[in-house]
Amino acid sequence: MRVVDSLEQALSNLWKKKLRTFLTTFGVVIGIGALVSMISFGQGVQYNVTDRFQKLDLFNYITVFPAGMQSPFSGERAGSSAESPRSVLDDDSLKEITALEGVESAFPEVRFPARIQFREKTRFSLVQVMPAAVAATELVKLRAGASFADDYSLSLIISDSLLTEMGITDPDSVIGEEITLLTLMLDLSRLNLSDMSSLFQNGKLPFSEQSHRFTIAGVAERMGFGGPTPLRSDVYIPSGTAADIPTISLTSIWDFFRSSGSADEYSMVNVKVDSPRAVDRVKAFAEEKGFQSFALIDQLEEIRTGFVFMDMFLAAVGMIALVVASLGIVNTMVMAILERTREIGIMKAVGAGDGDIRKIFLFEAGLIGLAGGVFGLCLGWIVTTAINWIINGILARQGIPFVDYFYFPRWLNMGSIVFSILVSLIAGLYPMQRAARVDPVVALRHD
Amino acid sequence: MFSSPLIETNDLGKVYSTGRIQVKALDGINLSVPKGAFLGIAGPSGSGKSTLMNLLGGLDTPTSGSIQVAGRMVSSLNHKELALYRRFQVGMIFQSFNIIPAYTAKENVALPLLFSGVPKRERLRRAEAVLSLVGLEERKDHRPSELSGGEQQRVAVARALINSPDILLADEPTGNLDSRTSQGILNLLQEMNRTQNLTVLLISHEGYLLKKYADDIIYLHDGRVRESEAVE
Repeated sequence: MRVVDSLEQALSNLWKKKLRTFLTTFGVVIGIGALVSMISFGQGVQYNVTDRFQKLDLFNYITVFPAGMQSPFSGERAGSSAESPRSVLDDDSLKEITALEGVESAFPEVRFPARIQFREKTRFSLVQVMPAAVAATELVKLRAGASFADDYSLSLIISDSLLTEMGITDPDSVIGEEITLLTLMLDLSRLNLSDMSSLFQNGKLPFSEQSHRFTIAGVAERMGFGGPTPLRSDVYIPSGTAADIPTISLTSIWDFFRSSGSADEYSMVNVKVDSPRAVDRVKAFAEEKGFQSFALIDQLEEIRTGFVFMDMFLAAVGMIALVVASLGIVNTMVMAILERTREIGIMKAVGAGDGDIRKIFLFEAGLIGLAGGVFGLCLGWIVTTAINWIINGILARQGIPFVDYFYFPRWLNMGSIVFSILVSLIAGLYPMQRAARVDPVVALRHD
Repeated sequence: MFSSPLIETNDLGKVYSTGRIQVKALDGINLSVPKGAFLGIAGPSGSGKSTLMNLLGGLDTPTSGSIQVAGRMVSSLNHKELALYRRFQVGMIFQSFNIIPAYTAKENVALPLLFSGVPKRERLRRAEAVLSLVGLEERKDHRPSELSGGEQQRVAVARALINSPDILLADEPTGNLDSRTSQGILNLLQEMNRTQNLTVLLISHEGYLLKKYADDIIYLHDGRVRESEAVE
């Protein structure tokens, strides 16, 4: 029996029982829809975390910070004893780290508060210093314009969310425009240490404001997952330019007390290495010098194990619907055999082999699986798109940027259809075998 | 003509067991049917006529003895070989026609060709040719519900003949038909028997029909051949 004929037979048999075929297939559609939605959610989370990190090269970043400091990531106090002499993370350590094999660049985490003046509007924001080489990586997702030309250019990158806050929605319109940064600096001439009361008498704090003019080189997308990325601000300026700007380079009062007067001590150094292997070298160095370090890659295994469990759980939930659907297939096909016993008997009497009968039923199951897979995948797309819009709609009010919480890799699209056919074929195995075993003598007596 | 029989059975037996009860449907049947014969098989209901037909048609397998058709041991064929035997060497027609209600006359006749992988166009072309042979070319696109009993049985005959078998087994083909239509069907079988040298085995409980059409009649009783008599 030719494949074309088996297919035609199966199609016409299914077509004859439209309602039943539709209901059975619909069961599979729901099953596959549930399964792909669940898996795409797992994939979405995974994509948003690891894959995106990988794309951004985040596994090649390691953060070094002085011991005794609160880890910016874990919230717990990183290690060590207050008794041991505190190592100072300064320009010398920076040079040593940069000299390590496999280290591409190391840049201190320098951030300072500034007032941003643009188009007659003023906003407070943190300004972060970033080497041009880092700013040019995929880490900074530009929505408009370009990165800094070099480390000494008087240009900056601003985040789209800060622009939105200022009421600007078209990022392209601001490229090349002038923007002013107003920074505070400690004005020692105003600080009369012998007479602190004078400070309050003349009503002025010992700070003076300096203004710096920049042009906007680029507009960057604000990262949805800020956590371990070295991007933690809304405005980025090149490191060479930043060196000429006197600022109070502290982000908290804690830094102020901790810095013990040393001007060039850093609270954190971001290190970019060329491969995850070099991470260990940096870590060893940090340990030797009495620094703490944090590398995302250390968490990778844990994250991955977590994802495997999450995927398994999600798939198991999705499978429930599919198992129920496959029971529906078995039920439908057993019913069909009972109805078509005589027909099967006739076919056998005129020379159909067991294999021919099997083929017809297997094609019927396969077609239900194919239709169920295709439409189930569509259902999955529709449902997840809807959920994604709703979630993002709610989160947008809290200022969280748009994130695709569902992700359909190609293997999921292809795989769900193949899997649907496979499950349907497996569900069709028992009915198929039963149909092939119909005894023609009994079947022809059948009414 | 009688030198090498087309069908030969040797001590053929069939026992049906349902639980502990064993029923001997056929017991020691020895038959020898030459090619081109028109054999009538008579007997009361329960005598084993249909069982014999099912064994000869390859729908069932004997519990003892053997069947040989054209020198091949049919009784020892496996499932697959039996399907091929049914497809190419025998054609069967039944009292209840056994044609598929959802198919047109043409599609019903073409059904056996489906399983040998003949392309659809070719299947339908050949089916039309056989339908005109049985005088139904006008009705080829009608479904069974639009055909009379006699026409339905002609469709069944056409289907049985489409693979040009050696043997036609007819199990009470006129049981559901009036006598005029019955004669029409049997005339058709006789014509095929004479013009195409088709070997016909006809089961009927209407002795006058057997006497009119068969060259030879065997009588079955309780699974045994009681006597065999030549007509005339």
